Amino acid sequence: MSDNESEVPTARSIDRVGEGPTIARLVLFCLKVGLMSFGGGLSGWLYREFVQRRGWMTDEDFASSFAFAQMLPGPTITNLTICCCSRFTGSVGVLACCLALLVGPFFAVLGLYTVYGTLSHNPVFQAISDGVVFAAIGMLMIICIRGIRRTIAFPPGLAVIAGTAFCVGVLHWPMLPVVLCFAAISVTLAWRTL
Amino acid sequence: MKDDHNILVALIAVLAPFSLLSVGGGSAIIPGLQHQAVDIQKWITAEQFVEMFAVARAAPGPGTMLSTLIGWKVAGWAGALVATLALMMPSALLCYGVFRLSNHHSEKKWNRALRKGLAPVGVGLSIAGSMTLFRLVGGGFAAAFITAVSTMLLMLRPNMSAIVVLGFGAVLTVLMRMPI
Repeated sequence: MSDNESEVPTARSIDRVGEGPTIARLVLFCLKVGLMSFGGGLSGWLYREFVQRRGWMTDEDFASSFAFAQMLPGPTITNLTICCCSRFTGSVGVLACCLALLVGPFFAVLGLYTVYGTLSHNPVFQAISDGVVFAAIGMLMIICIRGIRRTIAFPPGLAVIAGTAFCVGVLHWPMLPVVLCFAAISVTLAWRTL
Repeated sequence: MKDDHNILVALIAVLAPFSLLSVGGGSAIIPGLQHQAVDIQKWITAEQFVEMFAVARAAPGPGTMLSTLIGWKVAGWAGALVATLALMMPSALLCYGVFRLSNHHSEKKWNRALRKGLAPVGVGLSIAGSMTLFRLVGGGFAAAFITAVSTMLLMLRPNMSAIVVLGFGAVLTVLMRMPI
């Protein structure tokens, strides 16, 4: 598969899995994501499903939704699910997706609380949940790699990527002002190229 | 019965505003939540709060599922349900509304500029997110190795199921930590 053609998903959807995004398919997917979302960071899975595997969204749509989901209040994964799913289904469908996303964690957190002390100090459980997070970081890395590759021809975009990552990830500056600042610069730059 | 009803209303009144304040994934509201639940409402003790925080972090789902546990402690199943929805619904509705509004104008020039401009910011944030997660799980060789392997797998096998990759990470971590 060729990554640099990612802006035109329709042209390369032949090697994609499955068909269109039905409500049942979306809800089932959200259920799975919810159950596996140890430590957060499963945004990479949404990317994989919606952009890479199914070709339902473009890279740019996903990356902008991702920034959008983080800027607004609420868990990123919930907001991102809302942004991705509401492209394909109405308010009832989106509600169903949100509930599907949360039903697994709801019972899991209560279950874990009742057995707290035995399970959460269990080294095997700890290793499993850490391992899931390690692999989930890999999925986030795919967004990073493909995003950088896509922007490589546009140096100001690369500077925005690097600046945002550095201020939030290394300097630990508060996310919202940083994002607003870089978004203003980046959107202005984008406006001038259009 | 009257008391049960009152406590559910109190849960909504206290938690719903936090929903709209939980910018940046939710860790921003933890101190405020603790102050309300422990000092002001006296729903739980400080020790219980810390324990709930740890459990919510260990369990799948957003860290703000901490509210589910507070609700559960205060009013059982009904409390858990009400507390979860109180913390999730307002931000979800806001996100849905704002997204629908902007998507409605998706062909306008300002909207295309917005999407095109936000994309690199989103990529930068996912780099920052990877770093934060990496630190959160303690980093180290195992983390770097498994992250690298799963990244390669995902690059080389774009159709591989995510569950398989996540499961692979879990199994490999268990094996690597096993005392020989």
